[in-house]
Amino acid sequence: VRGYSRGSALSTAPPTPWLLATDNIPTMRKPVLASSILGGRITTSTFVLEQPRCSFTGLQDDTVIWLVVALPEAVANFSNNVKPGGLGREFQKFPHSTLAYMTLNTTILNYPCNKNSRDITVLRVGSETRCAKDESRPTCNGPLPGPGPYQVKFLALNGSEPVAQTNWSDPITLRKAQPSSSISLMDSRHSGSMIALTAILSILFAILLAGLVTMLLWGSDTRGVSSTFSKPEAVTVRRYNTHHVYDQTAARL
Amino acid sequence: MAKSEGGMRILQGLLVFGNVIIGMCGIALTAECIFFVSDPHGLYPLLEATENDDIYAAAWIGIFVGFALFALSILGIVAVIKSNRTLLLVYIILMLITYAFEMASCITAATHQDFLTPNLFLKQMLERYLKSETDNNNDKWMTEGVTKTWDKLMLQNQCCGVRGPSDWQEYTSAFRKMYNDADYPWPHNCCVMNDQGSPINLDGCKLGVPGYYNNNGCYEAISGPMNTHAWGVAWFGFAILCWTFFVLLGTMFYWSRVEY
Repeated sequence: VRGYSRGSALSTAPPTPWLLATDNIPTMRKPVLASSILGGRITTSTFVLEQPRCSFTGLQDDTVIWLVVALPEAVANFSNNVKPGGLGREFQKFPHSTLAYMTLNTTILNYPCNKNSRDITVLRVGSETRCAKDESRPTCNGPLPGPGPYQVKFLALNGSEPVAQTNWSDPITLRKAQPSSSISLMDSRHSGSMIALTAILSILFAILLAGLVTMLLWGSDTRGVSSTFSKPEAVTVRRYNTHHVYDQTAARL
Repeated sequence: MAKSEGGMRILQGLLVFGNVIIGMCGIALTAECIFFVSDPHGLYPLLEATENDDIYAAAWIGIFVGFALFALSILGIVAVIKSNRTLLLVYIILMLITYAFEMASCITAATHQDFLTPNLFLKQMLERYLKSETDNNNDKWMTEGVTKTWDKLMLQNQCCGVRGPSDWQEYTSAFRKMYNDADYPWPHNCCVMNDQGSPINLDGCKLGVPGYYNNNGCYEAISGPMNTHAWGVAWFGFAILCWTFFVLLGTMFYWSRVEY
């Protein structure tokens, strides 16, 4: 059973006990979950309570504090007189055949009321994994078997005699893990910048190819001195009328 | 003819200048892509396990394209100065081929960057980190890669999970199958470590006390380098291609003006 102390201040108000009809033992205020700055406050099989410091006053030093963890349906008929770990209170059979179990088994000396203490004083329910399947340890503080909800209270026993208790806590529901296959990958869609890049590059490449084709066709058409020979013109030779020539020379003479 | 002669000289000068820039950018592209391929942040196993590592293919293409651009720019300078039509034509055609490859590299890098979302890495981390039963050798290789990379990431960047340690609580995982929730609400590498490599306070880490465990997610440490990689390849390549477009158009025009 682990308690832990560190750090910042914890404020405690003096308890206001009132009598419970059936048991006639003082009933203190209910247990609360630890501060939410703890990342592991509630996990899938554990949860963290504030330690019951300054909750119980006027008790003898050999009083033993027990934590009762129960299903909500067992709260109404819960009897404080059943021995911890006895029939109907085994952790290993919870929640199939027993509806509640008791654990902790710590003397009240471990929870002194230090009003000026700056520690975080917490109690982790579900931290003992080694005895979780060990039937010889029915008061094991084993991991909770499901997401709950569960209700807890502290019970102070002197020997086997209940001498004080707290109220039942609010129902505590643990986290439930979703299957990792349910993570959707469909949210990745094409961003605008990628579409712009693709479009612009395609257009530029198309222009270049068009330019290449134009260049090859048009560039070899004009100035085609060596590429294409134009068809040579037919050579025309003027026919001189030899008769005229002789006439002319005769006229000059 | 003197006016067009002067105009041709100016065009020649511009083309030589354009090719010098292309040559330098080619070297820069090769250097940049070699840097990315060398994977300085060790994130390649994560990409490999997504079976979608095309941004690395884009970087590999970038290495060769950069080198080709450098070689072709030298050819281009020689061709323009000699005003040789054949050389110019060879230059244009080879540049167009290189252009096509670089276009493929840019588009690939930009497209695949969109796949790298937090959910992708989250799902991969949950399904592969410390997975114990692997189906075949390929699966085993990818699992080991993912596990080693995540361990290194969490230790070096002091982070946990993709969005935070609550990833390990919100979803089932291969890790959760092997390690029960009460002893390991999140992996031990999420705990703040001392110099010897063990958690400074294991109970504090399990409880989630700030200062004893890493509360932030690793997504920034992953997406930062990968986005730089993808954008470096895609947009630097795009800039080079825009410049090359104008140089090529100028060269085509020059070719059509050159006389044999």
